Amino acid sequence: MSRAATSAGAGPLPGGAAPAPPRRRPVSAATAAVAVLVVAAHVLAWRGTEFSPVALLQGWRGMADFLEQALPPDLSAGVLLTGARAALVTLAIGLLGTTLSVPSALVLALLAARTTTPNRWAYQAARSVLSFLRAVPDVVFALVFVTAVGLGPFAGVLALIFHNTGVMGKLWAEAMEEIDLGPRDALRVSGASGTQVAAHAVLPSVVPQFVGLLLYRFDVNVRSSLVLGLVGAGGIGFLVNQSIKLFRFGEMVTHLMLVMVLVVAVDQLSAHVRRRIGA
Amino acid sequence: MAAQGAGAPALAVRGLRKSYSGRTVLDSLDLDVAAGEFVAVLGANGCGKSTALRCVVGLETPDGGTVLVHGREVGPAGDAGSAELRRRTAMVFQQIHLVRRRSALDNVCAGALGRLPLRHSLTPALFPRELREEAMACLDRVGMADRAAEPAGRLSGGQQQRVAIARALCQRAEIILADEPVSALDPAAADQVVSLLAELARDQGLAIAAVLHQPALAARHADRVVGLVAGRAVVDAPASRLTAADVDALYVPDLRLTHLEAS
Ligand SMILES: Nc1ncnc2c1ncn2[C@@H]1O[C@H](COP(=O)(O)OP(=O)(O)OP(=O)(O)O)[C@@H](O)[C@H]1O
Ligand SMILES: [Mg+2]
Repeated sequence: MSRAATSAGAGPLPGGAAPAPPRRRPVSAATAAVAVLVVAAHVLAWRGTEFSPVALLQGWRGMADFLEQALPPDLSAGVLLTGARAALVTLAIGLLGTTLSVPSALVLALLAARTTTPNRWAYQAARSVLSFLRAVPDVVFALVFVTAVGLGPFAGVLALIFHNTGVMGKLWAEAMEEIDLGPRDALRVSGASGTQVAAHAVLPSVVPQFVGLLLYRFDVNVRSSLVLGLVGAGGIGFLVNQSIKLFRFGEMVTHLMLVMVLVVAVDQLSAHVRRRIGA
Repeated sequence: MAAQGAGAPALAVRGLRKSYSGRTVLDSLDLDVAAGEFVAVLGANGCGKSTALRCVVGLETPDGGTVLVHGREVGPAGDAGSAELRRRTAMVFQQIHLVRRRSALDNVCAGALGRLPLRHSLTPALFPRELREEAMACLDRVGMADRAAEPAGRLSGGQQQRVAIARALCQRAEIILADEPVSALDPAAADQVVSLLAELARDQGLAIAAVLHQPALAARHADRVVGLVAGRAVVDAPASRLTAADVDALYVPDLRLTHLEAS
């Protein structure tokens, strides 16, 4: 406590009788060990990925060649039209993949949230299913479904349904675990069943969060359906892949520009709606 | 309301015990509430009032003791045989616990969930017409019928608490336990809500016990006052015969300190 400041009436309280403030703890051995480990991990990662700024500088010619062929983009009506049509397919994959995963995500989320789960067994089982669906990337699901239903957008929709169920189910379950448990207790006392409590206390309290997360996932899914196209699951990603294989880089740039328009539009829309509902 | 179990009080709590990690919170608590009676429960912070109420309605599991409704013993929470008996008791909370986004009417209807099959109760749209009418009557009873369509979250605290009481009525509860129903309300709203509880006991024959932190409200409206110290009922007197000394004894700081140290 500074003595100079105590002269004024409104100064700090005299510190004489109060116990001395506790000392700051010195940096412990554990903290130092963690720091060393983190640095070591980065060194290993640098080696493991063959990270090399030199190689990048030496390779600039290749990139320049590429850009020379890619610019200006091929803006012919035919390319624009097929591109736009494929972009709509991509949008459709994202839309269906998101919407059709709602029922499965909802059921799993209700089982996997401590506030609504009927018992420990169902809770653990639902958590495991969600973890699995989340852990397998949508591209891997797409590759699997392409072998089942062939190349095309349908495989992309299936892939998104599976992966998005995992992600959205987890996010929704977390949203339900964060709510105030009071209304749930109040209905329990009145003799409501677990399903009734979920329908009348838990779900109505999380509607804004659920819609916000749904829109966020729609946004993400439209972007991933693009990547799904690269592995053969239809949409504009598929066209990008084709134009690269055929060395039509001008066409590829046009497609990428369409992708950008699509992604920005979906992002704006979902952000706008989320702001409106305050989620 | 018809007396059942000949002379048995609507609610009888016997020897209720509860401890949290070895610390005794309820120490063989007895509490009777008769039909038509309004009992005020007083006691210092931490003396176990909320725990007692939560044990009675099954939100907490007591370590021992029995709860009798009209002389019939209520089994543990989740026991299917006791479900009908448990539904006769409703609880009203200080934090009110309405679903803020739902209308007052839908919140009141939710009190009836325990007696509705799922096909009539999965969403408010499926609530039967008779239930809506009954819920309106309950809202009317607490003076909130004109606000039935408004989202509960938009009502004032006192109005919300009255809606919560209407929900308890719509549950057709015979016993209402209220845990500090007016602690968050201004003095006028508090008086209104407590006198509503007193009227419901007198006119409708409900058995009502309310935890209050304002001895004056208890003296003005309650039939009987029960005072808790350290999880035991040490005062049990008609409100008219409650003395200032009785009340002071409940809030003696020394008592609370020795209790804390002993535990
Ligand atoms: N879930 C719990 N786990 C551990 N201790 C608890 C729990 N609930 C209550 N207690 C303890 O039990 C004691 C009694 O709590 P309770 O809430 O019943 O008191 P109260 O009489 O309602 O007090 P207040 O007037 O402040 O509401 C307190 O010491 C509290 O810390
Ligand atoms: Mg309390």
